[in-house]
Amino acid sequence: MALAALFRRAPLLLIVPDVAHPPLALRQCAARAVHTQADAPANATNALALIRAQPSKYVIASVAGRKYLLTPRDLLTVPRLNDVRVGDVLSLQQIHEIGSREYTLRGNPDIPSDRVAVQATVVEHTKGKMEEIFKKKRRKGYERTIKHKQTYTRLRIGPIDINLDRSS
Amino acid sequence: MASRLAPATKPLFRAQLSSRPTNGHVAFIPQVRKVVFEYCEKWASSANTRSYLHRHLEDLARAHPHVEVVVKQRNYKPPIVRGFYLNDNEKVIGLNGFEITGIQNKVQLLLDSSGAKIKPLKRRTIESTTESARGIWSGLHVDETFKI
Repeated sequence: MALAALFRRAPLLLIVPDVAHPPLALRQCAARAVHTQADAPANATNALALIRAQPSKYVIASVAGRKYLLTPRDLLTVPRLNDVRVGDVLSLQQIHEIGSREYTLRGNPDIPSDRVAVQATVVEHTKGKMEEIFKKKRRKGYERTIKHKQTYTRLRIGPIDINLDRSS
Repeated sequence: MASRLAPATKPLFRAQLSSRPTNGHVAFIPQVRKVVFEYCEKWASSANTRSYLHRHLEDLARAHPHVEVVVKQRNYKPPIVRGFYLNDNEKVIGLNGFEITGIQNKVQLLLDSSGAKIKPLKRRTIESTTESARGIWSGLHVDETFKI
């Protein structure tokens, strides 16, 4: 599956993140705004190496049919997954994008799971608050009250693992 | 009257040394610690609970070794099941009027829960404590500074 790499332009610098630089005055900003395009890496391994070197990363993955922007340690609430038990570890198969502060890698359509692996642990199966749905048709004597608690599953996202070795 | 110098090392405030609870990130700890069944020996309201306790309780305890399963007699009262959680919360479910499959569902509800208070979850899709990876946009750090 060919990977389509997309690298965002960082106008003030090439590869070094600008938090390392001291804050610039407004005049210096205008002088240094040289539009140097960073050379896009040759292959996916180099692209992933650049992303892996950065401190914080995110993934955009599909879970239960919906796309979410996920970072490690966050708690994702999805509609109840009946096939899993509390404590089970799921691996996210459809990872569309992985990114960091400077770089983004977008899959075509997905990034293979042997390159980027993200796991999610089922923390609990809960229900939401009780909802009361009131239905009425006026002048017909029709009134119904339906009580409903929506069921959810909460997943804890694990660390984002980037594997640089070529998949065997 | 010496002028105060900046400290040689960056000061370490103790708030940043505390850990944020993220159960399941690396290790998962089941949140339910104890389940207590209270039933009556005589009354018919506890009949289904009594047969559940005779037939299914041992398998339940074996399947969930992290849970302490307790059976108590509470005479002349309808049957209940209590769940105790690691966050010091308690869930109490009445078992009156349920068949055995219903009792199994209620016990499973206790085992699946984390003990957290029930709150509306429709809009709480992602609860994150990490800061955004891409950072916050700044109007001063772009090619043309943003003019209001």
